[in-house]
Formats: sequence, structure tokens, C-alpha cells
Amino acid sequence: MSFLRRAWSLSIKEFIHLRNDWWLPAFMLVGGAMELLLVGWATSRPIANLPMMVLDRDRSSASRQFVQEVINTGTLRFSSAVEGIDEIRQAMDKGDVNAAIVIPAGFSQQLLQPSQPATISVWLNGAESLPATTVKRAVQGVVDRWNDRIAIEQIGLPEEDLSGFFPSLRVWFNEALSEAFYTVPAELGLMLEFTVLLFAALSISRERELGTLEQLLVMPYSSFEIIVGKSLPVILIGMADFALMLSMVNLIFGVPVRGSLLLLFILGLVYVLVELSKGLMISVLARTQQQAFLLILMVGMADFMFTGYAAPVESMPPILQSFANLVPAHHWLTILRGILLKSSGLDVLWPQVTALLILGAVIGAVSLRYVRRALN
Amino acid sequence: MSLRRILAVSRKEIQHIVRDRGTLALVLFVPTLLLLLMAYALTVHIEHVPIAVLDRDRSPTSRSFVQRVTAGKDLDLYAQVDSLESIEAMLVRGEIKAALIIGSNFDSQLLSLEGMPMQIIIDGTEPEGGGFAVSHIGARAEQFLRETLASLPDFSLSEAAQASIDLRIRAWYNPNLDPQVDLIPGLISLVMGFPALSVALTLAHEREHGTLEQLMSTPIGRADLLIGKLTPYLLVGAANVVLIPFLARIWFDVPFHGNFLLFFVLSLLFLFSILSMGLIVGVFMRSQAAALALSFLVIFFPGFFLTGIFFPIASMPEVMRLEALGLPGTHYAVITRGLFLTGIGLDALWPYVLMLAGLGAAFLSVAALFFRKRLG
Repeated sequence: MSFLRRAWSLSIKEFIHLRNDWWLPAFMLVGGAMELLLVGWATSRPIANLPMMVLDRDRSSASRQFVQEVINTGTLRFSSAVEGIDEIRQAMDKGDVNAAIVIPAGFSQQLLQPSQPATISVWLNGAESLPATTVKRAVQGVVDRWNDRIAIEQIGLPEEDLSGFFPSLRVWFNEALSEAFYTVPAELGLMLEFTVLLFAALSISRERELGTLEQLLVMPYSSFEIIVGKSLPVILIGMADFALMLSMVNLIFGVPVRGSLLLLFILGLVYVLVELSKGLMISVLARTQQQAFLLILMVGMADFMFTGYAAPVESMPPILQSFANLVPAHHWLTILRGILLKSSGLDVLWPQVTALLILGAVIGAVSLRYVRRALN
Repeated sequence: MSLRRILAVSRKEIQHIVRDRGTLALVLFVPTLLLLLMAYALTVHIEHVPIAVLDRDRSPTSRSFVQRVTAGKDLDLYAQVDSLESIEAMLVRGEIKAALIIGSNFDSQLLSLEGMPMQIIIDGTEPEGGGFAVSHIGARAEQFLRETLASLPDFSLSEAAQASIDLRIRAWYNPNLDPQVDLIPGLISLVMGFPALSVALTLAHEREHGTLEQLMSTPIGRADLLIGKLTPYLLVGAANVVLIPFLARIWFDVPFHGNFLLFFVLSLLFLFSILSMGLIVGVFMRSQAAALALSFLVIFFPGFFLTGIFFPIASMPEVMRLEALGLPGTHYAVITRGLFLTGIGLDALWPYVLMLAGLGAAFLSVAALFFRKRLG
């Protein structure tokens, strides 16, 4: 019992530090959640509303209808009608528009002549390739529909039969196709990881930089007690932060918790412990707080690359895929998405949970050994 | 304000930086390393998306359709299954991103031109894989339909098989829409901002160590101190201004069409403005840990998510668009993309240059103003 009492007294010392510098716990607790709110709000929507120029040389009802159908996809919005290709080029040089549609004269006539296809040109601003790719997909979709409609008309089938040629689509786990389901869980993972890493990494490097670590070491605490004492506040704040962000994700962004909340919190605790071990390791590697911060930046961003936020891990080169298996955040995100959206339990998630536990054990053991040596 | 005093502060700061080799190395190379990492991990070309197929028709036509769908590198046939249950299990475990179900009368309906009965089920929890599968299966189905029509003996049908609209999509500046080409100039604006985080730390560092009082008791004025602190990091940043475009050009083969001298000058202007933002953080925070947490929240994460590098600003909510205008990175990202990819000059870039200068001056004034109050 005396071990717990001593470790707890160290934790109390940490909390007193936090009270004196109240900005820090405020940031730790609500900073991540606030940031998640902002970032989630800005990014949890489809790419839409991109400005588009129209150069309509045909000026027919068919050309107007085509432009209208492109706008109806929601991806693009009409920004202005122009007279020449030079104007388009100038606007794109400045980055004012993402796309331009050029409909040549005679478009509507050529549509009626099956022998020769009518041409539509679309210019994309390749300096922003992600929106450009989205625009490409949207316009292609409209053209495909037109082509099919005309083809069906020529065959002489009634238009309502057209629908039979399109595959029906079902989206599992995300029926309303909410963009927030994709983005917000990964962003939550990122904020949680940074909060825990930052807090853990600074706890020892700060004492070392200010020279108070020696004082701590001459006291009758074992190195293990120091580690536990330093870790408890991080775990408490990390879990509080997680609970706060999770309720926000659920209430504000409408991401459901379909699986077991208890399991999610237990595995969340495991994940926080793994990141804590990493943070403590950084904190003894770094000699100053500034070094600690630069290392966190590296480690945290590297991990984020493997959460499937911007690019699917399955499409990465094999070396990066194997590396992803060594990243705790990669497994955690699979677990988080699984429990939140797919109501998965341990029967499905056991490979990820096992991986997280093994990684945790290894990182924890190395970190413990390393930190103890540094403290002794 | 006097130049001599500014230089004195700068010299002291440079000594701090140079003496601490570990930090110097990190400050110099973390931006480059992160750029390398993100450029590889975020620009993965999506292919080999695993799908399952449930063929209820089992006719030669449906088999050749399945063959067609999975022939390319984009979609991989993970498994041919017999039941919806297997599909569900695979989707839950994340083994497949999508499933294609072919209706039992696929062959007869297609040949009698009634339709192509099929359904696509996608995993709605991850952003890329599912949508990718839908558009690619759709395109293959379209092609398959046209070829089937063309092979029918009836003349009018083969005519209908020809597309009525010929869509020509071209992209300026980045013809293949290669994400690396435009993401790297965007990422430059993110990694170039890292010295700002260090600046925030140095002020808090002085305060935490109690050396700020000593500095203030010398004849050095507030402005001298702030500008003197800022200058060395401007120099560190300037080293990256040369190193990083070099890396982008040589390693990633990103074109550079603009004027390098202009790029250099405007990069210094961006550094000035983002470093001033860092100063504000340093002025308000009493400890390095708090300064660090705050600079992540106001400089780093917004710089990543809200400056339009990944997510187009045009698609964000109104309020976030205003916030994006207040971030130096937003304007600098336009400048880097402009100079790298479109090769525009000051005549087109001046609004962004003015914004950068204005933001920098405003941030520095705020820092100076509150610096006095915080000391008093």
C-alpha cells in the first residue's frame, strides 16, 4: 500500500504543478476537443461548391441543361460565364476557379446526329489535384448519364427502363454517406495521441531542464514510483479528454456508438497506456522541452499517416504496410471505427487488440527499462 | 528600438541555438523529414482495392463480366462468395472494401435489353476504398454494356453503343493530376511554419527560467527583444527555404516555374508573419509546456487542416473560411503553388502578399502590446 501512497503523493505534486500553470491542463483537457470541433466541422463535409467557369459557345437549351446538371451534382458552383479561353487561363493562374466547362458551337446539333459525337471540354486546375479529381468524377458521371439516356432513346426503350442498367448501391455502416464518419474518428485519434504524447513527454523533460529532477531522485522514491506518479495524471487527463471528445463526436457530428462502450473505454485505456509509454521514452531521450516537442511532432505525424485518414494503408507500398503494423495508432483506428460504426466486438477485432497488446507490452517494457535507467 | 540591441539579442539567441546541437539538428531537419514522410504517405495511388463477388447468375456472361471488373490493377477479387452472410462478415472484418452482387437473371436481362441487375455494397467507414470501387465497377459495367450492345446483330443497336458525348478532360499545371505535384508545394507552407513553434518556446523558456526579468532590466526594449528573438529563427527558416524547394525539385521532380528570388523573398515574409504568430503564443504563456500545447492548437493543426492544403477552402463553412483567411499558411500555400506550378508573378500574387504582410504586422503589434502588459 505504501507504494501506492507514495506514487499518489507524486501525482498530487503533478496536479499542484498543473494548478499553478492552469493554461496547460485547460489545453490538455479541452484544447484537443475544441480543435476537434473546428477541424471536424471544416472537414466533415463532401468536397463541394468549387467555383467553375462556363464558356458556352452553343447557347442552346441542351448546353444550358448540361451545365445545370453539372451544377446539380453539388460539386461545382457557377462562378462566371466567359467569352474566351484566355479568361479561363488567367483565372486559373490565380487559382480563382477549379474547373471550366467549354461547350463548342454546334453541340446541340451534333447530339442529334448519331454518326459523330458532340464534344465537351473540361479544364481542370491541376494545382489542386484533390478537388480536380473530384470534379473529374462528377463531370464524368453527368456525361455517362447523358450518353446512356441518348443510347436508350435510340434503342427505342422508354426512359424509365433506364434505371435497370445502373447498379443499385448500398452503403453499409454509413447509410446516409456522412462524411463525418470518415474524418472525425481519425481526427479524434490524432488529438488524443498528441494530448497524451505531449503531456507524458514534457513531464520528465521539464523537471530535467529545470534541474528539479535531481531533487526528486534524492527523495526516498523508487524509480518505478516516480514513473507511476508521473503517469497517473496523464492517464486521468487522457481518459477524460477521450470521454469528452467521444461525446462531442457523438452529439455534434452524429457519429454513432454502435458497439460496446465499455469495450471501447477499456481498449482506449490500453491505447492511452501505449502512447504514454512512447511519451515517457521521448521524455528521457530529449534533453530539453524543445527537443521533446520536435520529436513528438515527428512521431505523432508519422503515426497519423497510417490511420487511413488521407490515404488507405492497403494501397501503400508493402514496406510501408508492414511498418503500419508497428504503429499503435493504426490498430487503434481500426478498433475505434469498428466499435463505433460496425458494432464489432472482440470476436472480430481480436487481431487488432492482440497487436495493440503486444505492441503495448514491448513498448511499455522498453520504455520502463529505459526510463528507470535514466532515472537511476 | 535600436539595431545594435536587436543584434545583441539575436546573437545571444543564436548562441543558445548553436550550443544545443541536438535541438539545432532537429530544428533544421524535422521539416525536411516530415515533408518526405508526408509526401510519400499522403499521395498513395489507390489500387488493388479488395472486393468480393456474389454471382447469382453463374452464366458465361456474368463470368465474363466479373472477369472484366477484376482484370485491372484497380480492383482485386478477394473472394467469390455464395451468400450475403459471407459478404457481411468480410465487410465487418475490413477484409473487403466493396462487394458486387450479380442478379440471378443477369444474362437474360442484359441480352433482352431490360437491364443489368446488380448491386454494389460498400464499406461506408473509410473514405476512399468504397467510392473508388463504385466508380470503377460503374465504368466497367458501362463499357461492358456498350460492347454487348455492339456485338448484337441489330444495326441501330451498335450505333447506340457509340458514346454521344465525347468528354475531353484536361488539367493545366499537372496534366496527370499527380497528387504529389501539388501536395508538396502545399506541404512546404506547413513545414516552413515549424520555426514558429520554436519561437513560442524560447520566450516561455526565458520566463520559466527567470531570465526574462534579467533581460528586461537591461536597456533592451520590448521591440528589440521580440525582433531580436525572431531574427535567428528567420535565418533557420531561410535555410529551409533553400533546402526544401531543392528537395522538391530534385527528389520529387516537382516543377518550379516561378522566379526563385521572388519565392525566397515571399518565404521570408511568410516566416515573419508566422513567427510573429509564434511570438504571441510565447507572450501569453508562462511555461514552455503550455506554450507548446497552445502552438499546436493555433499554429500546427490549423496549418494542417484549415489552410486548404488538403481540403479546399471553398467547401468549408463560411466561418471557417474567414478563419482560414487569418492564417498565414492559407496565403502562403497559394503563393507556393503559384510559383511552383503556374509560374505566376507579383502581378497576380499581390493580394496574398499584402495579406501576409498585414497579418505579420498585426501579430507582431499584438505581441508587443501584450508583452508590456504581461510584464507589468
